[in-house]
Amino acid sequence: MTVVGIIDYRAGNIRSIRNAFEHIGCETSLVTDAAQLDGVSHVVLPGVGAFAFCMQRLSESGMLPALEQWALVKHRPLLGICVGMQLMARCGLELGGHEGLNWMGGKVLPLIANGARVRVPHVGWNDVMFDEPFGTFAAGDKADFYFDHSFAFFDPEFGETIGRCTHGQDFAAVVRRGNVVAAQFHPEKSQDAGIRFLQGFLAL
Amino acid sequence: MLKKRLIPKLLIQHRQIGSMIRPVLVTTRKFDQSFDVGDPVSQAKIYQAQMADELIVLNIDRTPIGSDVLLLGLIERLASETFMPLAVGGGVRSVEDFGRLLDHGADKVVINSIAADNPDIIDTAASQFGAQCVVVSIDYRRHVDGTPRVYTDRASHRTQRSVVEWAHEAAQRGAGEIVLVDADRDGTGRGLDCTLCAEVAHSLPIPVILSGGCGIASHFSDGILDGGAEAIAAGTFFAFRDQNPIQTRSHVRNSGIDIRVET
Repeated sequence: MTVVGIIDYRAGNIRSIRNAFEHIGCETSLVTDAAQLDGVSHVVLPGVGAFAFCMQRLSESGMLPALEQWALVKHRPLLGICVGMQLMARCGLELGGHEGLNWMGGKVLPLIANGARVRVPHVGWNDVMFDEPFGTFAAGDKADFYFDHSFAFFDPEFGETIGRCTHGQDFAAVVRRGNVVAAQFHPEKSQDAGIRFLQGFLAL
Repeated sequence: MLKKRLIPKLLIQHRQIGSMIRPVLVTTRKFDQSFDVGDPVSQAKIYQAQMADELIVLNIDRTPIGSDVLLLGLIERLASETFMPLAVGGGVRSVEDFGRLLDHGADKVVINSIAADNPDIIDTAASQFGAQCVVVSIDYRRHVDGTPRVYTDRASHRTQRSVVEWAHEAAQRGAGEIVLVDADRDGTGRGLDCTLCAEVAHSLPIPVILSGGCGIASHFSDGILDGGAEAIAAGTFFAFRDQNPIQTRSHVRNSGIDIRVET
């Protein structure tokens, strides 16, 4: 039975994520305590706001040890979205340097604006190139997803970049380490392509 | 490559219907006369089916949005029945309102008068919610001599601010996007103010959304090509004309502009 547990650490747009999964037809539950992971088959780690703010909220939630067990010891499916992806880096350079979860290695750096050609924040629909298959996306496929961010994930060390995006520079749009997948874009806001992506995650 | 965006704008007013008060979708002309269109959620679903890239939802009653259960309920319904980004504003009074709107399903918050009166709100909101969440909307009118001046309170109150300077200050303080609205073109269909947009957009690192005056499909491509806008927002155009985002989209694409063609 598919039940998607959405980590509620008061730093994310949880409602939209919940709505998207319910639209697909699966049950969702909010996870505010490690014990609630018991009844769940898939976990989503959202995140909106500054890196340090999210990292601090997540640490204070007390759920981190259980999430690390879930993702790295039991290898169960977990999806990070936006800052929820960025937290998986070794470090983030937003408002000073901060340590991340280091599940994927790599770092989160500011995107560099370049006149009228490259504006930051990177807001809107941009192509994601899939280098590896994911769900119904084949290697070599290209699809539009909705982005809204000023910082991006570069050079994962333990996971691999399975989807790339370019905005002035190439950055990781989707990284994957086994059953842990993370996306810089918002699949829950990306209409049909987003729903397909979430279905790919549910198939893990 | 990052695509340019077409954004339907949903203006909301409270209306008494029978014994009930309900939020309804309206359009305005020069920020003054307003015309009822219908149900905001049904219209949003139509726009989604027509491949709108995003929605801007604005409460134009000047009532505080953060404590308005009808409006918060509407945002919740929009977020649960559509899967596209929602920028919400109109009557935002505090940084706490950002949290409330996001909790109800907004992805970004649009501020206007509160930012002009108390610009520090931009810095505070950006540090808490991230720059990508803070959209500063600037309403303006041109004086007789042609100088554009910033107006607040639904374009009823004239300030001494210059549009270009205010846009720069907002960006510096941490705004993630700027919306430019020429109040005198609103609802007239006589074309966008590409001149001022070009001046603002060319000197700013953040995206500019241009609005006010779309009457035919070529106005959209003008705003992007001549105005340097990243996105065009329109209310009246999409609500009343025999045009929809799909037709407009093909025109814009045929002008050589990179926009999304499939969902």
